[in-house]
Amino acid sequence: MKLSYSWIQEYADFKVSATQLSDDLVRLGHEVESVDLPREAVKGVRVGQILSMIPHPNADKLKLLSIDINEAEPLAIVCGANNMGEGDKIPVATVGTLLPHGLKIKKGKIRGEVSFGMCCSEEELGLAEEALGLLILPPDAPVGAEVGEYLQLEEAVFDLSITPNRGDCMSARGLARDLAADAGLSWLEPELKSLDEDANMAVGSIACEAEDDCPLYMARRIEGLQVDEAPSWMKQRLLAAGQRSVNGVVDVLNYIMLDMGQPMHAFDADTFKGDVCVRGAKEGEDFAALDGRVLKLHAGDLVIADAGKVAALAGIMGSEATAVSEETTNILLESAYFRPASISTTRRQYGMVSEASMRFERAVDPAMVAVAMQRATTLLLACFGGSASVVKVLGDVDVWLKPREFTCDIARLESRLGVAIPAPLDDVLRRMGFDLARNEGQLHVSVPTHRPDVSMAEDMSEEYARVIGFDAIPAELPELPTIQPMQKDTSVQDAVRQGFVQIISYAFISRQEQRLFSSQDEQDIVLENPISDAMCVMRRSLFPGLLNTAKYNLNRQQAGVSLVEQGRIYSKRERCYHEDNILAWLMTGELLTPHWYAPSRDADFYDMKGAVETWLSARGLVARFITDDDVMGLQAGQTAKVLVGKTVLGHVGKVDGDLAASFDLDKAVFVASLNLDILPKAKTAKFVALAEFPAVERDLVFLFDHKTHADDVLQAVRKPAGSLLMGVYIFDRYDGQGVPEDQVSLGLRMSLQHPKRTLTQEDSDQVMQAVIETMQARFGAVLRG
Amino acid sequence: MSKLGALKVELHTLQEKALAEFSKAENLNALQVLRVAYLGKKGALTDVLKGVGKLPAAERPVIGKEVNAVKTALAEALRACEGKLSVLERQRRIESERLDVSLSGRQSARGSLHPVQQGLDEITAIFSQMGFEIAQGPEVEDEFHNFDALNIPPEHPARAMHDTFFVKDTDDAAMLLRTHTSPVQIRTMKRLLEEEHALPLAVVAPGRVYRCDYDVTHSPMFHQVEVFKVGEDISLAHLKGVLQHFLSAYFEKDVSLRLRPHYFPFTEPSAEVDVACVFCVGKGCRICKGSGWLEVLGSGMVHPNVLKSVGIDSTVYSGFAFGLGVERLVMLKHSIPDLRLFFENDVRFLRRMGA
Ligand SMILES: [Zn+2]
Repeated sequence: MKLSYSWIQEYADFKVSATQLSDDLVRLGHEVESVDLPREAVKGVRVGQILSMIPHPNADKLKLLSIDINEAEPLAIVCGANNMGEGDKIPVATVGTLLPHGLKIKKGKIRGEVSFGMCCSEEELGLAEEALGLLILPPDAPVGAEVGEYLQLEEAVFDLSITPNRGDCMSARGLARDLAADAGLSWLEPELKSLDEDANMAVGSIACEAEDDCPLYMARRIEGLQVDEAPSWMKQRLLAAGQRSVNGVVDVLNYIMLDMGQPMHAFDADTFKGDVCVRGAKEGEDFAALDGRVLKLHAGDLVIADAGKVAALAGIMGSEATAVSEETTNILLESAYFRPASISTTRRQYGMVSEASMRFERAVDPAMVAVAMQRATTLLLACFGGSASVVKVLGDVDVWLKPREFTCDIARLESRLGVAIPAPLDDVLRRMGFDLARNEGQLHVSVPTHRPDVSMAEDMSEEYARVIGFDAIPAELPELPTIQPMQKDTSVQDAVRQGFVQIISYAFISRQEQRLFSSQDEQDIVLENPISDAMCVMRRSLFPGLLNTAKYNLNRQQAGVSLVEQGRIYSKRERCYHEDNILAWLMTGELLTPHWYAPSRDADFYDMKGAVETWLSARGLVARFITDDDVMGLQAGQTAKVLVGKTVLGHVGKVDGDLAASFDLDKAVFVASLNLDILPKAKTAKFVALAEFPAVERDLVFLFDHKTHADDVLQAVRKPAGSLLMGVYIFDRYDGQGVPEDQVSLGLRMSLQHPKRTLTQEDSDQVMQAVIETMQARFGAVLRG
Repeated sequence: MSKLGALKVELHTLQEKALAEFSKAENLNALQVLRVAYLGKKGALTDVLKGVGKLPAAERPVIGKEVNAVKTALAEALRACEGKLSVLERQRRIESERLDVSLSGRQSARGSLHPVQQGLDEITAIFSQMGFEIAQGPEVEDEFHNFDALNIPPEHPARAMHDTFFVKDTDDAAMLLRTHTSPVQIRTMKRLLEEEHALPLAVVAPGRVYRCDYDVTHSPMFHQVEVFKVGEDISLAHLKGVLQHFLSAYFEKDVSLRLRPHYFPFTEPSAEVDVACVFCVGKGCRICKGSGWLEVLGSGMVHPNVLKSVGIDSTVYSGFAFGLGVERLVMLKHSIPDLRLFFENDVRFLRRMGA
């Protein structure tokens, strides 16, 4: 909301600078987005009179002007506009002026002709969004005067962001009340002039069928208006407040709204057919709104209707048909209190926002309903003539003017704030409209009608905090519980220590991406209002995010990436929403940068698997990796499920080549994913005495069928080797020359150790013999010489 | 010449020859060969000793003495040569092993933690050390926990300000992506009370949140850390104290902070918290729009309706709560100019910022 300083000054004699007032507003809880200085912004633009105008010799569309700005010599200016003539008065930006949009005026040559300034349009002066030609000033404008002063542009305009609880501050009057109370200034409420009402003028019948949503409704008829433009001082203020001038009547009503916070509406009484009825809309009822939209209304939407049609969506927007125009002579003027929740529900249903609805939604001051009616009528009659009927009132005004009352414990208020609340502070709140009485530690509060947000002790603690000033509240540490050891999740840290770069990607992806790694779309959690189709469904896998990131980086000259991400995946199963905590890796392309000691190498399956193994071993876990040919998106034969005990923690594998290519990834891409929520807890390491007797290493090399899995071989060694076996691993794998086709040579290295004595040759020979027999029996393996 | 005389000459010649050969030995191996050749069991000196047997008994001790003298002399000479040679050899070896130390070393690949993760970890650690317990909650949340329980009824204007992502095709209650970490307040208080956890509660809840807003300064997904404490006599002054402690710890220097009255439906009173601009030290610059202050978080005293919604008696207990925007704090701490950098995941940026 924008409001000029001069407007606020109508209500109290503020003398501080705009900057100081801005600080005061912030301290009281009214956020100031910016302070504009419209008059300062056009400093250097002066009233000029065109002495002569001739065509530019080198350009058809340009003209050479000689302009008097009340200096010794007239200015020569080249101008491209065509709505001016000799003798016209126009704004001239002189050399050195910095215009609101950032244009700095310099002496220049345009097509060979010198120009000492620029003639300006309203748009260039920041006075309008757009303009067709130069701003032609009235003939009596004093030549040479600063245009900002002549037009009485505002000196300071505050752009405020009023919090939703303070509807009362969405007006000059409301803001001034807070500020004046805080500064201790006396209150200058303009006098409410009495009005000659035409008691004989018929208003017609007004009925309210929705008293809950519209507890207070006032209307009057005004006849014989001659609608003209609103006075320029008013238009000036509205302009500064960001309100476009519509027509005299609308401008006056907008002025009242910004001045007092009470939105009002005027219907053209001649297009309004018959009696006024405030009611709930019928389901499907048509409403042709002022903004050109035609709505099908829902039952219960609060409307103002005439005999036939809906004339307004109450408190939100009027109809096209009953709108006031320059031709209007008779109007029906409305001032009301609508239930905030009703306005809010209706306007959100149709995606409508208006200055009026913003105020009704935040609750207007019921005490202002009649006052605004009176002031608006006075202004309308003063500006456009005519006569007014009496006001018809629906609803019990007195009920709404009764203040809300409650009592609170002063000690509890003080303990909530952590600071004393001295009695003199009560006066500040009294100036804001509160009626306060202290009695034996209790504070009796009577809340003014403009503060519907205050209803309990805690609300009063905020009021006091505002006037004490948050700066004056001390900073104290509360008693804190004894420190518990932090259960830190080091999942991602461990992966990073292994050389992976952590990424964080969006949790929503496209449907196409979702379908790459999961088939059942009935488990998808889809967004109702996504940013775009690319971000419309909650991911069920971290792989699409990793692939996109790999693509992004490989497109930026990275020869390879090793990425890790920790994040949730989301699904809906049997009407329940599930979130699993996942750690996922991706490796592709160059693993090492080429170096003097080694050539570069591309990542392969065993790099990815090794990373997962290392990560698991840091948690004291050893997993088995079992071929899984049915993992969507991953290549059969290069994909394994990761098992610890009987739990499948996730997968490691190669991304399908075509799928990777669709992400512009040419080299093999390897990924892995583990579900951290089902990860077994690492066992606490137990001390085991170090072996006293030396271990013996024995190697055996066999020829196996090519399809034999190393893991099966290693598992099979354990039984025949018995308790002497301390460890076994594959130290060599070869399927090149010398090895028959369909076979592979695997070298097993076993470490044997006796717990109680030195191992003898016989001991180990026995074990070797048992292993050889088992390998032959189990795999048909042949021992190689 | 007597046999004795001949032996003496022989010994003398042997010694001279040996000493000459010793001094010419080029390395320890050659010296070892010479040691064996002269002093070994089958060496030259042993050969000479064989002749001693043929001497008359009276002469034997004389020649014996001579032989021992030669043995000692040769052994000493050997030791001296050995010493010289081993120094030489050591020098030679060192010379031969000389490396180009300017060549780069074999480094293990360095990973990096995402700057937002670092921020989350640092922030959580500070509160954890202050005794706040870590809690989490779902990101796909229901309307009750995200709004109603936080004193934001359906028609409340604050709902519209939240730019909420809603979930399509929900069965019963409307589901949404949580717009703040505040629902964790509700869930955690409920859980702890069900577990008969005694008040006071002190909780820190880091997590992802979502707003339907996407431009240069807004990301539809970002991170917050919710911090709250509920107990007897918890005051606004405590809130200020905890904030002061946290912000100074996080920015690793004393920062001045400013509380501005504000409005949040779930706190009363509510305050926006600014820190003195870390870029211009409060003098006013482009980033703080000349104000010298940067808004970092929203805070306040927990609204009695929120306590009521989880069954805590607000006439006995009170609490403070605040929600930190992690990206914002990380940007300020590390002078990162653009929010979008966090989610582009350019590894050059991530490695540079990464720890
Ligand atoms: Zn700054």
